[in-house]
Amino acid sequence: MADVVIVVALLLVAAAATCAVLVRDPVRQALVLAVLGVVLAVLFTVLQAPDVALSQLAVGSALTPLLLLLTVRKVRRRARQEGRGP
Amino acid sequence: MTRGIRLWLVAAGGAGLAALLVAACLDLPRFGGDRHPYGDRAVRAALARHTANTVASVNFDQRAFDTLGEMTILFAAVLGCVVLLRQTRDEHRARPAPEPVARPVRRYALLVLPVALLTGLYVIAHGQLSPGGGFQGGVVAATALHLLYLGADYRALERVRPIGLYEVGDAIAACAYLVTGLAGLIGGTAFLANTLLPYGTFNTLSSGGTVPLLNAAIGMEVACAVVVLLARFLDQAVEIESLTGIKTPTDKERGK
Amino acid sequence: MNGWEFAAALTLSGGVGGTLWGVATGPLRRRVVAQNLSTALACPALLLLAQGYDRPSYVDLALVLALLGPVGTLVFARLLADELAEDPPRAWGVTYAAAGVGAAVVLALCVATGPSRALVKLLAVGALLIGGNVIASRALAGGFRGVRRG
Repeated sequence: MADVVIVVALLLVAAAATCAVLVRDPVRQALVLAVLGVVLAVLFTVLQAPDVALSQLAVGSALTPLLLLLTVRKVRRRARQEGRGP
Repeated sequence: MTRGIRLWLVAAGGAGLAALLVAACLDLPRFGGDRHPYGDRAVRAALARHTANTVASVNFDQRAFDTLGEMTILFAAVLGCVVLLRQTRDEHRARPAPEPVARPVRRYALLVLPVALLTGLYVIAHGQLSPGGGFQGGVVAATALHLLYLGADYRALERVRPIGLYEVGDAIAACAYLVTGLAGLIGGTAFLANTLLPYGTFNTLSSGGTVPLLNAAIGMEVACAVVVLLARFLDQAVEIESLTGIKTPTDKERGK
Repeated sequence: MNGWEFAAALTLSGGVGGTLWGVATGPLRRRVVAQNLSTALACPALLLLAQGYDRPSYVDLALVLALLGPVGTLVFARLLADELAEDPPRAWGVTYAAAGVGAAVVLALCVATGPSRALVKLLAVGALLIGGNVIASRALAGGFRGVRRG
């Protein structure tokens, strides 16, 4: 009974990680990845590793999505430019 | 190398890794057990040096040399990014137009920016007392700065972010970590040994000897590194445009 | 396992589990809203866990999430403005429901804590959490209308 929270957090991480692999579009993947980061942080907290959880929150909630989306924007812009060029 | 050989190589490596993992897992202590030989020793050493957060003691005292390696990895990674994402000869910079942002969003960003910056500093300063430390606080503080990009526009961010200063800050912080380590060596003990400063009163900001100093160095290093890294990504995504294959990209883009 | 931990498990399995379903399926407008809600619901869960484990320093986790969660959503709102402008999310019902959960949790914890410095911190986390997520929802629903590039 005492491990209910741990089981819930583990199941959430497993589900989120599976979704992150199954979703193929990079933008949507970034969204799933952001949720996966939050869920992972909860798992670390539940396992009494708050320092790791804090690292995960700091990196996963804003920094990773920003890097991913900026990369996607750059790649798409280049594709658009090349598509319109001679 | 043909496809078949590559597959075999991956399979062999994977099998080896799997075997090692299984062997390691079989030898692990039981989940949630009450015997923690390493943990007990780490806690004892942390308490002896008046560091309330044992994880900080492990990172910046007992295994400070590992942290030096990790910091070097981040430094090298950012350096690599700076070199890879530089502006090449066939690219030019286009000034992004100012952006209309809804007023509540703008106000929120400007209001939360100082709060987030302060939280980052708080997390760095309390690293030896509560969960957190240089890495976490540095990332929070660096992310806070980019609220200017989210809430206003890229030019507003560029105005408060002289990138050269952050590059210098990154290097200085990395050096500060090394110098603190060398001071231990000169002080007569060993590289990065926590014997230089008084340990202070347990559970106060100034406790832990060199742990707060190393924490601050890492905090500055990480914050500067993240700012420089994001600056390169933002430059590429927002400003730098390739000249090949298109005559006037800015006008076309604006007239979209 | 005490009541606080049980409440955290409920918030996680019901709330965050639901947002996980939302973020993995459906159109983009539903996914961004679900991402916003995931932080809005995980933050109260972290607060409940801190109280359940009787570790006041774990509140720092909720503080960082309350600050950076909405910032993450702003990132999506800003850089996906084009896609979202074509099909803007309208999700005020769930947003206010999540804000209500956050407010209820913060209120319950405040009552349990009593007047102290921890209470001030809790109230700050609550204000950042609810304000941040409402603003992030506003940003998704057209806060960057007209942003084409940059």
